[in-house]
Amino acid sequence: MKVLVLGAAGYLGPHVARALAPEHQLLLTDIRPPEQKPAHEFRLVDASSLDQVMRAAEGMDAIINCSVVRQGDRAAFAVNAGGCWNMMTAAVRQGIRRVINTGPHFTVAGPSYEGFDFALSPDAPPQPGTNLYALTKSLGHEICRVFTEHHEVYVLNYLFYNFRDLRGVSPRDYSYLRPGSDPVPFVVSGADAGEAFRLGLSVDLEKLPSRCEVFFILADMPHGKFRNDKARKLLGFQPRDNLSALWRKTPAGA
Amino acid sequence: MEGKPALLPGGPRCEEMKPPKRITGPRVNRRYFLGAGATASGLAAQPAATPLVLITSAAHAFAQSLAAGLQTGYRIRMTERTRVATTFDFVECPLANDLATRSLVRGVDAILHVAEPLPEDDDWRKIEYLTRGTYNLLSAAAAEQVSRLVYLSTLEVMTPYDADFTVSESWQPRPAPVSPVLSKHLGEFVCREFARDRKLRCVTLRMGKVVRHGETAGFDPLWVDERDVVHAAGLALQFVLSSAGAAAADWWRVLHIAADSPRGRFSVAAAQRILGYQPKYAW
Repeated sequence: MKVLVLGAAGYLGPHVARALAPEHQLLLTDIRPPEQKPAHEFRLVDASSLDQVMRAAEGMDAIINCSVVRQGDRAAFAVNAGGCWNMMTAAVRQGIRRVINTGPHFTVAGPSYEGFDFALSPDAPPQPGTNLYALTKSLGHEICRVFTEHHEVYVLNYLFYNFRDLRGVSPRDYSYLRPGSDPVPFVVSGADAGEAFRLGLSVDLEKLPSRCEVFFILADMPHGKFRNDKARKLLGFQPRDNLSALWRKTPAGA
Repeated sequence: MEGKPALLPGGPRCEEMKPPKRITGPRVNRRYFLGAGATASGLAAQPAATPLVLITSAAHAFAQSLAAGLQTGYRIRMTERTRVATTFDFVECPLANDLATRSLVRGVDAILHVAEPLPEDDDWRKIEYLTRGTYNLLSAAAAEQVSRLVYLSTLEVMTPYDADFTVSESWQPRPAPVSPVLSKHLGEFVCREFARDRKLRCVTLRMGKVVRHGETAGFDPLWVDERDVVHAAGLALQFVLSSAGAAAADWWRVLHIAADSPRGRFSVAAAQRILGYQPKYAW
């Protein structure tokens, strides 16, 4: 499958490329080259440019959107919301039926959920709150959802937060995720995150409940705050890396 | 009703102002009052105790009609991203994330966010104005303790439903992925999050297609007369300015505003019940 990856040089992109490389032909794109020379074609593409996204999407079978801007209102709206407008416009015009969009878990489960509730599911109505990053990503997801209601295009919206890079794939610094560090309770290893994309490119779209489905992509957590059972059930996602040490007081092997 | 206001090129823009050492009141563009209209402006004629309402999208003729219709009960301040000639007090502001937007909303009692893009806006600019512009406007409002908002949306977010259904405000919006409709829907999304997260008291009025009775040919089940919408906006302002409860229903309400006609597509029963909306014009 020919796959366009937007925002490939960020936190998540290297994990995605590593997971998809054996089976797919990738076009990796971002506004700057990756820190490590990619094994696949790379092109400078700004997700906020409709023309650039449209050209990059030519001949593709699927689009994966890992682009993100967390600060600065103009860029955050242009990339997080406008990037989805551009991506979906390109998908519709070029007959691309499979899109995987990404965002943080608070795209759906903002403070009004995370601060109050447990066993949180990705199918709850979005309540991102007014944080710039959360709200702009949530608007992007809503743009995707609206397109799927009117066009034959499927969107899998993967929500993440922390990535535990156990294999040194990403150049990013995840050192704050130490055993016992008690991080935001939404973590997945880079390898398991990448595997979710491999599964997303192979899942039978016709068997999904709708043309727009949201998934929490996280490891099996000991705290019961968020649930990954939808990803398990619909994607066949089986996280292999046990990250419960992040919450243990006793180091492993002690 | 005045015609479409003129856009004026050149001149200072609020984004070009040097950052003040401390924030003072908004820069009021009195130079661009039009002739005799200046002396009759709502701001000049009304006592300070009269609520001050900020009306956005001043370049849109409908915004001018709203200002004209509301000026007897409110002091009016208008704003737009570009310079506009108007008889009302006017502040040019791009609704950026800056002190100029905070200055724009300082001292305002309520915002009437008309939320209409400029004619030259492309698809993304339409969406950006309704999302980023609304976000920055409401962020500034929250920072300045302005907590009352009336947001004008469109009933076109509900039209994909089978016309035989009685579609009310409790039904999920189904906007088409076209910028004029989707942008209004996303603007609602932003307002709703501010209502929920920042306890902004917001009434969203989903309007039909605004026309003038007697100036139309044929029939459209979405028509609503401009004077009825002005009436509804006034009622909504009264509602948000008087609501003081802590219930979520005081923070966020959506109401459909159309003609009250058996031929109309959408019921206005909720607006009648909650606001006392009584439209005068029907087809």
